[in-house]
Amino acid sequence: MADKPRLKLPKEAKKGDVIEIKTLVQHPMETGLRKDAGGNVIPRKIVNKFSATFNGAPLFSAELEPAVAANPYLQFTAKIDQGGTFRFTWVDDDGTVTTAEETITVT
Amino acid sequence: MQRGLFLGPAAIALVALATLALPRLAATAPDPGAAPLATGDASARPWKRYPGWPSRDSVKFNTLANPNVSPPAPKEPRKLTKPLAGDPAIGAKLVADRTRGGSCLACHVMGQAGNADMPGNVGPDLSEIGNAGLDDDTLFNFVNDARVYNAESVMPPWGTNGLFSDEEIGHIVAFLKTLKSPAVFPTSVDDPSKRPPPVEHRDNLDEMVNPGLWTVEKAQQLWDARGPTGSSCAGCHGQAAERFKTWAAGMPKWEPRLDKVLGIEEFVYRHAKATTGFDWLMQSSENTAMAVYLRFLANGQAMHVDVTSPGAKEAFERGRALTATKVGQLNFSCLDCHDPKRGGLKWIRGQWLGEQRGQLDHFPTWRTSQQAIWDIRKRFEWCNVAVWANELPPEAKEYGDLELYLASVNAGLKLNVPGIRH
Repeated sequence: MADKPRLKLPKEAKKGDVIEIKTLVQHPMETGLRKDAGGNVIPRKIVNKFSATFNGAPLFSAELEPAVAANPYLQFTAKIDQGGTFRFTWVDDDGTVTTAEETITVT
Repeated sequence: MQRGLFLGPAAIALVALATLALPRLAATAPDPGAAPLATGDASARPWKRYPGWPSRDSVKFNTLANPNVSPPAPKEPRKLTKPLAGDPAIGAKLVADRTRGGSCLACHVMGQAGNADMPGNVGPDLSEIGNAGLDDDTLFNFVNDARVYNAESVMPPWGTNGLFSDEEIGHIVAFLKTLKSPAVFPTSVDDPSKRPPPVEHRDNLDEMVNPGLWTVEKAQQLWDARGPTGSSCAGCHGQAAERFKTWAAGMPKWEPRLDKVLGIEEFVYRHAKATTGFDWLMQSSENTAMAVYLRFLANGQAMHVDVTSPGAKEAFERGRALTATKVGQLNFSCLDCHDPKRGGLKWIRGQWLGEQRGQLDHFPTWRTSQQAIWDIRKRFEWCNVAVWANELPPEAKEYGDLELYLASVNAGLKLNVPGIRH
């Protein structure tokens, strides 16, 4: 993942609000099913797991499969009762773990 | 690789020396405030075609730099010495064979050939050509080299340029004679006359939609980075957003010191090399990022290139002539595909051929089909390779002339960079 992940979520919310969170990482999501010009299989290399936590507690997670297109874009919602920190994690087939954080305050 | 340097205000005393050494530059007095530019190659040498692109070498056919190598058109139709004994079943396969330049179906509806699956409509519908009463000689010559009947034909000279053998053309003729009833399309989009032209409606300036925008962030880091000389872009230009609100809209422009049209990508290489010492060769990720950024800062500005000053006017005329230059084994000019009087605003198989206006304001553009951002020079290179011509290095002066002409055709359209396209 060459570039840092993109995150889109509000910086603040009212207690009890349901907010929308958008995440995007740049990744080729190579399926492992394609062949190169020489007929050799191009090895699979995908982001196979995504997870989001809020103040350390699990919020959302997903197992990704080869059918997911390049640059996986995930959108989900969360109910906000207190301020805190979101932590997002992407796990690559090669073991690389990419993380990003964003904070939110409750008004 | 010899690299020199055009010097700015600090070295006016050297200008006289430089003009002695480079007599062709002597006619135009350098503007003492002009941006320093490095000379030498602005892209990798030896120039190598991009990984994953077709590797065929089309050296026997015209390029934009060398337009006089393709075989000439025959003066008159060939007289067949013996009757054609083609097999229509083999012909049916050949007309759908995509290994010979996209197949006949790329441009013609041909009845049920190829299951009437997304044929194009650049050429006439041939579904009932078998009822036209054309003899074998005529059909053979049309496929072999249609220029013997119509010098303006955009059809590739399949025989003359060695794409199909005489025997294969015989099979195609046999197949054409079986075409006697209108095409029945499986769905309405298979019919090119009913297929709706594509409309791009994604928000290209939303970074969650367009990964091409990520280059802007990269460029902002490059802007502040110090090169081998210790200088950075920011060191001389300060805040990019303030200084470059309009600059990109006036590019490309004629550069007398280089005796060629300079586009933004080439400028980025030459100027950064001369000032910061960075080697941001054209088609490097740094070069593309900076070229996107400089246009991004001028988004919303109407393009307005100079085509009236002496060098620019000549370059514009050369660029216009290049759009009519036939290149490659398929023998296409820019106009063959992009002039609405020819192939423009029509379908080539499932791909829509746009007209020249509207083809520049969004470059560099993110190509979802390539998962990559392409500048206009790479797009020119792909056009060349797609018509089976050898591409030129990205800084080729022919591409500069062509870009200047294209920019003038697009004058008034507002920059909207990076774009997003299939």
